[in-house]
Amino acid sequence: MDRILPIITNNLDVYLSGLLVTLQLVGISFVVAMVVGTLIASFRIAPAKLLNWIGGFYVESFRNIPLLVLSIIFSAGFIRAGFPIGKMASGSAALGLYTAAYIAEAIRSGVSAVSKGQIEASLSLGFTYGQTMRQIILPQAFRTVIPPIGNLIIAMIKNSAIVAGSIIALDDILQGARLVNSRTFATNEAFFWAGVGYLLLTIPATIIVRRLETRYAVKR
Amino acid sequence: MGYLFDPANWEWIFAGRNFMFLLERFLNNIVIALIVMALSLILGLVIALLRISKNKVTSTATGIWIDIWRNLPVLLIILYFGLALPQEVKEFWVDIAPSFLPEQIRNSGQVVASIIALTIYNSAVIAEIFRAGIHSLERGQGEAAAALGLPYWKAMRIVILPQGLRRMVPATVGQLITLTKDTSLVSILAIQELVSAGSIVNNTSGSPFGGTGVPAPILQVYIVVGGMFVAFNLALSLLSRRLEVRERKRAGDVETITGLEDQVGIKTV
Repeated sequence: MDRILPIITNNLDVYLSGLLVTLQLVGISFVVAMVVGTLIASFRIAPAKLLNWIGGFYVESFRNIPLLVLSIIFSAGFIRAGFPIGKMASGSAALGLYTAAYIAEAIRSGVSAVSKGQIEASLSLGFTYGQTMRQIILPQAFRTVIPPIGNLIIAMIKNSAIVAGSIIALDDILQGARLVNSRTFATNEAFFWAGVGYLLLTIPATIIVRRLETRYAVKR
Repeated sequence: MGYLFDPANWEWIFAGRNFMFLLERFLNNIVIALIVMALSLILGLVIALLRISKNKVTSTATGIWIDIWRNLPVLLIILYFGLALPQEVKEFWVDIAPSFLPEQIRNSGQVVASIIALTIYNSAVIAEIFRAGIHSLERGQGEAAAALGLPYWKAMRIVILPQGLRRMVPATVGQLITLTKDTSLVSILAIQELVSAGSIVNNTSGSPFGGTGVPAPILQVYIVVGGMFVAFNLALSLLSRRLEVRERKRAGDVETITGLEDQVGIKTV
């Protein structure tokens, strides 16, 4: 354990560049997840059976497949199929589309938490379906959706290690720890600092989400 | 699209034992998931009881333990134990593993590393589910039990836990889905399971030496592998939904515990 400090001071560049890759992966994936997730959620609540079915199919398949398998499909699978896809692109597609299924479910349950009476009331007042969604339902649903989306960002930070550790091989924090371990054979210390790196991202995020949960708590 | 749906790229499924081979290896994932779940339920209950203990030091220390493991990537924990677990422990597993387990599970020392890693992670999540279940009852029922003169542990044992445990059944089944997906990660420790089996099929099926002679493209192989996980997990989530509905019928509009990608929440109906 006397090597605990030298391991971080000698390999700071490895860990810091790993941290940057993790953040980059999570950042791009989050944008993908929000865009696709909102689209799928609107499919699931749209008044059209076919769209409902497509949305449901998307959610059930991407939510129940292991992220590792998805990473292989989006990298090696796509390359063999003749789509030359970069590392960061395939990584953020896998992580983003996987998380999008959860985002869609969070948005959907936020919308369905707004009582049905409000939709009926606004429709009978002469609002169109689009206006009802935009002006009545979504502003209220937004409040309930924030804490679960915060939780999903935490899950994304942890899941980014799976994407990077798969066949895609991005040099994130965890891969940095494996590199340091293979150079120094200080397994405990190398993984300890990787763990610290992840906790520096996830613990503050957890605290923020808990605060938001109490602030946006909706009493119904 | 032509490549994806080209029948020639799907022939491998019916060639030789490819499909059966994948199914057999999926059994290893399920066995690991069930072992880990059984251990996590026991350990999770102990951790949850320590977490809600009246002793401030115990509950804070347990809270830190839970938060640390829950907030680490599970892959990091698996890799760490795979590298750091002493060789003697791994050999000990190969010696004592019961014979009814699949062969690849019995003969791999890394299996014990992956079971330890997944159990540490999952028991922290399960403990949070238990705590939410107990917490949702504590105020009314706990006070009623105390007013009736029941001591703390007795109230816990005969009033709180039986009801709390029932409320967390759907969330536990939900966590089993996440766990089943996480068992795919043990392939990184060179344990024989479905994901590594996919790569074996991809590498050998097209080979004229011992293979079936029908090439198995990686995209199609992993779509089938993913499909197996999806089918199994869909069955579990149907079960979870059924249990939730039944619980609501039995107890009226109660708060149910929900699990979403390792995050625990209370859903008020």
